[in-house]
Amino acid sequence: MKKQTTAPTNSPSRREFLQVFAAGAAAAVGTIALEFAPLAHIARAQADNTLRVAWLTPATLDPRSASGDAEIAVLNAVYDYLIETDAAANLVPRLAASWDLSDDGLTYTLQIRDDATWHDGSAVTVDDVLWTIQWHQDSESTVASLLSSVESVAAGEGNSLVVSLSEPNPDFLYNLTDNKFVILKADSENIGEAFNGSGPFILEEMIPGDRAILSANANYWGGAPAIDRLEFIYFDDQQAGIAAVQGGSADGILRMDNPSFLAFSGDVNFNAVDIPTSGHHLARIRADRAPGNDVRVRQAFKLATDRQAIWERVQLGFGALGKDSPIGPAFGQYFLADAEPPARDTEAAAALLAEAGYSDGLDMTLHVPNSGSWPDLAQALAAQWEPAGIRVEIQLEDENSYWVEDWMQVDLGVTGWGARPTAQLYLDLAYHSEAPWNESHYSDARVDELIELARSSFDEAERTAAYHEIQQILLDTGPVVVPYFFAQFMVLAGHVSGVALHPFAGRTNFNNASLG
Amino acid sequence: MMTPASDLLLEIEDLTLSYRIDKRWIPAVRNFQLKLARGQVYGLVGESGSGKSTIAMALMRFLSGNGRVESGAKMRFAGEDLLGKSAAEMRAIWAKRIKLVPQNAGAALNPSMRVGPQVLESIRAAIGIDGVEAERAMMRMFHDVNLIDPEKVARRYPHELSGGMQQRVMIAMALVSNPELLILDEPTTGLDVTTEAVILDLIRQLIAERDTGVLYITHNLGVVAQLCERVTVLYAGEIMEDDRADDLFHQAWHPYTLGLLGSLPRPGQNKRDALLHPIDGNPPALKDSSHACAFAERCAFAEDICRDVKPPLESLPDGRAIRCHRWREIRDGELHLVADDSAAAEPAHEGRAQSLMRVADLTKHFTVGRSLADVLSHSAPPPIRAVDGVDLALNAGQALGLVGESGSGKTTLARLIVGLQERTGGKLELLGMDIRNSVRERSPDVLAKIQMVFQNPQNALNPYMSVRDAIRRPLIKLRGMNPGDADAEALALLRSVNLRADYADRFPGELSGGEKQRVAIARAFASDPDLIICDEPVSALDVSVQAAVLNLLARLQDQNGTAYLFISHDLAAVGYLADTIAVMYLGQLFEVAGREDLFQPPFHPYTEALFAAIPVADPRHRVEATLLSDALPSAQYIPGGCRFHTRCPRAIGPICEEEEPPWRDAGAGHVIRCHIPIEELTEAQTKSAAGAAMD
Amino acid sequence: MLPIGQRITASLQMIKALLRQPASALGTLIAAFFLFLALFGGQLAPYPNPNDQSHNARVSPTLDIGSLQFGEHPFGTDRLGRDVYSRVILGASSIFRIAGLGTLFSVLIGSALGLLMGYRGGMFDEITGRVIDALMAIPALLLALVMVGIIRNMDFDIGSWQAELSNNVVLLVIAVLYVPVVARVARSATLDIKTREFVEAAEIRGETTAYILFREILPSVIPALVVEASLRFSYAIFLVASLGFLGFGARPPSPDWGLMVNENRGGYYQLTPWALEFPALAIAILVIAVNLMSDGIRRAVQKSA
Repeated sequence: MKKQTTAPTNSPSRREFLQVFAAGAAAAVGTIALEFAPLAHIARAQADNTLRVAWLTPATLDPRSASGDAEIAVLNAVYDYLIETDAAANLVPRLAASWDLSDDGLTYTLQIRDDATWHDGSAVTVDDVLWTIQWHQDSESTVASLLSSVESVAAGEGNSLVVSLSEPNPDFLYNLTDNKFVILKADSENIGEAFNGSGPFILEEMIPGDRAILSANANYWGGAPAIDRLEFIYFDDQQAGIAAVQGGSADGILRMDNPSFLAFSGDVNFNAVDIPTSGHHLARIRADRAPGNDVRVRQAFKLATDRQAIWERVQLGFGALGKDSPIGPAFGQYFLADAEPPARDTEAAAALLAEAGYSDGLDMTLHVPNSGSWPDLAQALAAQWEPAGIRVEIQLEDENSYWVEDWMQVDLGVTGWGARPTAQLYLDLAYHSEAPWNESHYSDARVDELIELARSSFDEAERTAAYHEIQQILLDTGPVVVPYFFAQFMVLAGHVSGVALHPFAGRTNFNNASLG
Repeated sequence: MMTPASDLLLEIEDLTLSYRIDKRWIPAVRNFQLKLARGQVYGLVGESGSGKSTIAMALMRFLSGNGRVESGAKMRFAGEDLLGKSAAEMRAIWAKRIKLVPQNAGAALNPSMRVGPQVLESIRAAIGIDGVEAERAMMRMFHDVNLIDPEKVARRYPHELSGGMQQRVMIAMALVSNPELLILDEPTTGLDVTTEAVILDLIRQLIAERDTGVLYITHNLGVVAQLCERVTVLYAGEIMEDDRADDLFHQAWHPYTLGLLGSLPRPGQNKRDALLHPIDGNPPALKDSSHACAFAERCAFAEDICRDVKPPLESLPDGRAIRCHRWREIRDGELHLVADDSAAAEPAHEGRAQSLMRVADLTKHFTVGRSLADVLSHSAPPPIRAVDGVDLALNAGQALGLVGESGSGKTTLARLIVGLQERTGGKLELLGMDIRNSVRERSPDVLAKIQMVFQNPQNALNPYMSVRDAIRRPLIKLRGMNPGDADAEALALLRSVNLRADYADRFPGELSGGEKQRVAIARAFASDPDLIICDEPVSALDVSVQAAVLNLLARLQDQNGTAYLFISHDLAAVGYLADTIAVMYLGQLFEVAGREDLFQPPFHPYTEALFAAIPVADPRHRVEATLLSDALPSAQYIPGGCRFHTRCPRAIGPICEEEEPPWRDAGAGHVIRCHIPIEELTEAQTKSAAGAAMD
Repeated sequence: MLPIGQRITASLQMIKALLRQPASALGTLIAAFFLFLALFGGQLAPYPNPNDQSHNARVSPTLDIGSLQFGEHPFGTDRLGRDVYSRVILGASSIFRIAGLGTLFSVLIGSALGLLMGYRGGMFDEITGRVIDALMAIPALLLALVMVGIIRNMDFDIGSWQAELSNNVVLLVIAVLYVPVVARVARSATLDIKTREFVEAAEIRGETTAYILFREILPSVIPALVVEASLRFSYAIFLVASLGFLGFGARPPSPDWGLMVNENRGGYYQLTPWALEFPALAIAILVIAVNLMSDGIRRAVQKSA
């Protein structure tokens, strides 16, 4: 159970007081209406078999630029991906019913399923897949860049897709699971506005800023969804969406802040689901110049931090405890579960600092993007570090400009990394000495070697060992403090079942949902 | 009093009124009594703080929350006990039977309502008529109070009316219900002497037509003499003397009444003839009842008994009431008032006759902002010609008096000379040197030579600056003294204005009006100026204090050889202090005369009218008819020809409307600007003076 | 100038007049109480480090009004385990410093400007007056947000001043924001005073403008300025809190009340309502108290005038 400390004597009376206050403020009729509203809604929702999910308002539905959960959710319902992942980051077939890898590790053959049809009734073929890839390459989208190591794609025998790589990549198939990589019908026009997909739902009507109304695709290859209709209801801010779920005008909501989720999790009328993700927040110090180039300084930061306390306070204990590396429990066996971060010891940290020549401690500026729970994390870190002599001034940064300009330059900063499907991605993006987003300017020959090994090896045991060693090195001497991996949340009304939350909320499938 | 009981309208006995100050009840009025008959005009005279307005408020039962009527008082109105009336009963009486006309009509009228609806409402409340009938009654009243164009007046807002018109509206509102008792609380204070005369005339005439009893409250002895049948003199909340007006003004037996009369300059009286007889000291503040005579501190005849025993109010068989231990000695002529300096001021410096200041064709035109209509029609409104071509010469040591109604431009003229306003044309020479426009451009030498005494002593001194600092500053600034010398000199100056040295450390808030004005005078003299502009220096002061300040000004002028430009609307005060007098009307001079010449024919018709309007403190010389309407034309739209022709009682025809009058010389520096030849003026005016005397 | 003795007597009389009306007396006492907190908060707070997170997180308030028991965390602890009671106490000093100094600067500058405008008149008054009117036409909060934004994003290097400016940007904004308001009050009071004859007497003596402004006119304008200053102060408190709430004022981990309200909105309001309610209550009480006090000062000044 999550740790929540409350003084037992006062709490109930306080709650009563608030309830009485609220009741007094509302007119009697209003109060009655409030109490019966959810029931009435459930009855109605069951009658027309519609599932209504609250989302933030989407900005675009063009697969090349869609990125937010609400945007991807529409694409995921209307279209199909070739392959998708489950909550444990395993590959799951979708339009590609199966796949094979050649012995040299360079050629993948994906079998496109025969029973898939477009909403207009025509069959899905490998030509549609080829057209989609070409379309992305023509428009130089991010999907095209994911396929940069692909030498050629071609139609194989019997509706199969043959992909040739220039070098072996054990994680290549994960590239095909990308959020943007939905398969479009060949020669589609008005993409982003007209939606002739092959997915479980058909977009009936998009009312901008209000809702998307989708109907079940009775001919879906995976079977007709149990619900007749799916409505995505749009809100401008999360609290409004939460209120809609509480009030019964929506049946569920995905993604929310921790305290809101905590409030739901004790409520028997709702089914509150949380799963850990590989997304995490971290504090990092530049390792290429003073003071962070001294390993003792980096160790002092690690020693001064109580990850457990931060996880419990900033994330309210949702998600998973971090161990100073980007590879978390979401990656299963790759996660070094036995790693034990040092217990917080500010005296030892101060001693290390003194050894490194900072006997008076350190005065630094901690750069923090000004949104979400980042400022809280910064405050918690600052408070923990202070007794060790690490005095930081928190500098809130405007997200729009920070990621563009200063992020890679500052000495000490807090960064958030979203959930990724593979551990390798994090390492390639930020921990290899030549990684494009090596924000801490970290350079360790052994780590580089291990990253390269894991990138090309098909030997699971070897990869696992490499990942474990990287985690140990980062925990002992690395430039980052990863206090936690955050969770993904979903709250559904009690009568909704059959929805499996995906770490990326927008990829959650609703075709197995049922009401009742 | 020999009034038959049936005629008795108001009877007050043993009225004591107290105010609660710092948790103690302090009597403001003690044992007041009054018997007012129907149709009688009763004067209630007193200086500030005498309690006269408190009595009016008590009569109306308007006493504020911290005031009360002490037990034992009787107040009977038309046989009914006023003190026993309920609030509702009092409202009925206010609506109809007792009416109060307050001092400041502008403040008594609702500024956000047109005049007509306000008056109609009071008519409805008073006599219960409405609609056309009420409107007709209002127009009749407006006509009765000589409001020109009553329809137009009714449509105006109060601020669009002149002070005189506002006061007439108030009087009209008061009289519409034909009240039995009319209380007039200083109704003409703050108005011009010409306006005052018109209003007094109106009141006299309205009362004569009715059977209304009038209680007329004022500090102005002249007004009382002109209007009242009987007078009560109040001092420090007590009746000092009460008698028929004629007896009181000619045979006053109380030292205070005598003092008041003696401190008034009469028209034609001059400092060279005899100094005024001021009453020493200041009117008392509200304080606890003492066992002494309230006037003892200031009384020239006070003896030990006066300071130990409060004299009783004695009612004499001839109807007079008096409160004094020594009235019999005064009646018998054994005691006389003697001025502290019996020798009149000597014209010590007259012989020099050195020219000090010359003003040639001085003008000040204020431009008026263009309205939208002006902008659209590409025209500019005419400027306000406040000073419109004035020539004036002043010799060293000479006192030049400047008289005129408000709006005549006399204050603007003074401000041009002193440099507080910039002239738009003409020349100003001091000791043969051209003087620059504004104070900012003038050298300290020039600044030191021209100083000013202001009208309002309340505002003349910085409330946050001690008397010492106020006087020291010009010494240091303009005479370049070091602080030590300035200190000594400041004390000397204080002595010269008859203030003790300990006043140096006081602040203006601790001084009476007269004392403030003395400090202001000391400050003006500090730079050893050649010319002091005195702008109405006594008009804001109590009567008994005015004389002392006038005497002081006369003495200082004499001692220092300073020239004065003395501005006043009070002809008597000007006549007292000035060697030469100039009469100003709508920005121009109409007459310049030596003091002896001005007070006898020939006069300019305007001067003549001003004289006629003065309320002389003598019931035997009542002004029977005013010569002048109170409609002073605007300085923005000055009538053509002789600018006085719209009001001139002696206008001789079209020439007055078409041509500017010439200056005519009446000899000995006496000049008059009029179309009527000097001889004709002299003849006509001598005749009418004789006629008036025969009445 | 009044001698010290009289000054003190006058001040005492004003304080007496202030305390005579129950509402303004209450307001004054509460404001004084908060000032006391601001001055001695470091000694009074049970946990003098506002960022001390050594407590359990999300503890409910232990304050029991009935038995007057304060308990360990009278106002509870927030999501990070900080004692809300201590933070509210410690937050008083920054609000008083920023609002107080900001008001003081605005009064100093504004009254000098207003005196000059009122006394000089003419084109100077006309132009400055128009600028002031234009500034005052913009809602204060909006103007404040724009100014904070501009100053925070200024791209020139002014060395050590940069940090100073950044830390005191709200103070600066308040000073600048209220200069026009104070100037207008000072100007209109000056317009009244300058027609008094003692000012003309000074002009006739050839006194300099500075002398006339500060020795002759200023003492009479001070009562109006005192009233305005107290009113400005109450608005300034509200503005500081608003800016903190909107994230434009104090930065974390400052125990700024407005910031605390902001941080505990949203989901946290359901979990730890006390962490929002107590600082919000502090803002409300202080603003109302200073307003009542200002009202009392106005009446006391009017009475003595």
